[in-house]
Amino acid sequence: MNVILSIAKTTVGEAIRRRVLLIILLIGVLFLAVAPGLSVLSLRQDFSVLASFTLGVIKLTSAIIAIVLTVYLIPNEIERRTIYTILSKPVLRWQFVIGKYLGAVAALGLMMALMTVTLVAVFAIMGKGASMDVILNLTRAPVMFFIQMSLLAAVAVFFSTFVPPITNFFLSGGVFMIGTIFSPVFDSISSNEKTSGLVKMGAGIIHAIVPNFGMFNIENSVINQGQQIQNPTFFMLKMLLYALLYICACLFLGVIVFDRKEV
Amino acid sequence: MSLAIETINLQKTYKSRGGGSIGVVNNLDLQVERGEIFGFLGPNGAGKTTTIKILLGIIYPTSGVAKVLDKDAGDLEAHKKLSYLPEKPYYYEHMTGLEIMRFYASLFGIKDRAHCESLLERVNLTNDMNRPISQYSKGMQQRVGLAQSLLNDPELLFLDEPTGGLDPIAHIEIRDLILKFREEGRTVFISSHELSDVERICDRVAIINKGEIVAQGRLDDLLAGGRIEVTADNASEEIAAKLRTDDRTVSLGHGRLILEMSDSEDTGAVIDALRSGGSEIVSVIPRKKRLEDLFIESVASDNQLKGRKMSKMTGESTEPEATNEEEAGS
Repeated sequence: MNVILSIAKTTVGEAIRRRVLLIILLIGVLFLAVAPGLSVLSLRQDFSVLASFTLGVIKLTSAIIAIVLTVYLIPNEIERRTIYTILSKPVLRWQFVIGKYLGAVAALGLMMALMTVTLVAVFAIMGKGASMDVILNLTRAPVMFFIQMSLLAAVAVFFSTFVPPITNFFLSGGVFMIGTIFSPVFDSISSNEKTSGLVKMGAGIIHAIVPNFGMFNIENSVINQGQQIQNPTFFMLKMLLYALLYICACLFLGVIVFDRKEV
Repeated sequence: MSLAIETINLQKTYKSRGGGSIGVVNNLDLQVERGEIFGFLGPNGAGKTTTIKILLGIIYPTSGVAKVLDKDAGDLEAHKKLSYLPEKPYYYEHMTGLEIMRFYASLFGIKDRAHCESLLERVNLTNDMNRPISQYSKGMQQRVGLAQSLLNDPELLFLDEPTGGLDPIAHIEIRDLILKFREEGRTVFISSHELSDVERICDRVAIINKGEIVAQGRLDDLLAGGRIEVTADNASEEIAAKLRTDDRTVSLGHGRLILEMSDSEDTGAVIDALRSGGSEIVSVIPRKKRLEDLFIESVASDNQLKGRKMSKMTGESTEPEATNEEEAGS
């Protein structure tokens, strides 16, 4: 366990110093900070529009950070040869992969925490009279985003064990997009009697393999009082378990590939 | 006593783009004894780094046996007793020298800060241990590399080009440290292009070319059989012809004769023959066989190397084509 934590700690230290990530984070934080003053919101600058916009900024920024952070996680170690010194120590390859992943998730968590703090500050100062309870309720969405992005990071780590970073960027981004929008498409395909069996089977396979990222989007329920989730704690635990199962599967497959990889 | 490293018929091949296979390491048989400094030499792309990576378990052999400290290559128990300094090591630049040491120490389960500090002191980095590694010179980074390689008090050290690109002072410091490793009873496996260093510090060497061992043994044995160069003036074509044999090289120009022969031959008889023919002896110079000579001889079939040596002699560009192992392996 010490080995995994050491690798994770070093990964966090490196990630929070990567300029490209800091620039993406800075842009995200800036958008959050200036959101109440943006002219695009001025026509209907009520709470729900502002909340929807700011949560969208957090999700998009987090997704970009998650992918950019993880696609280079293992390839960089190989290219810079730091991996040779590490693997020549009593370190197993699975410990290396898990350590890198946990470090990336921790760094992602720190960055998302900063954005969430900015979100709370923005609403506390300029939140159109929203109470603190409502504002704190809003923070449930970034928590779900964090679970969602941790899953996305695991997908990217899996791909990073066998594809180069640029390919991985588009591959992981593609999986995220399909996983976000595919569920309603699948429902419509499976309920349509005119759709051929082959298409239905293909859609079923995609639906079974690709994680359903759309399930983590709870923005509407935290913004609109009329769309409350019944038993939110149970829902969050269920989603956490769903994400953990997928994360474990991705990391397991990643470790299997990486174990035989010639680095 | 068991061997520190042993390979039997070790083979590593990669698939080529054309569908065939490229042998990077071919039937490699290596024996490294415990407590010795072993030099592993070869031109670029010969298979040195690939062999080291196999021995460390970083890549896997296609066939054959690779044993390190009596365990299969890559075995975790062996990794507790060995260390590796890669060529041009790179570290996490945001860390200080001490933080790097503590990170690597943690991979062995070592939490002792004083131990890390004492190793940095050993490589003369006490005053710089709290500076970020990005501010270190190449020599300082190499010394951090050596310090980290001692964290686990290793029985066996793999050093890949440990003195490459260092200034003369840093070069000597690293060389002295390696000699101390032997005094401490450690086995050191050095892959290097610095033939003068290898000749000074190694007990035994192996020369690898195109993935195959072309020479292996004790340096004293491999470098036995020096040459003697005799120079004489007023020599005639007749005496030159008389002294010329298959084992000697004789050149004659403007009355000056230069004869090169094995030191096992009777030098006195040659000198007497020259004098009796009316020649005047100018010099008799014994020339010890150098590791460079052995290296060139051993890889003489490599035309590229020959060409490189020729161009060096004629002062032409010596820049070789990029043919490292990574390219061969990719």
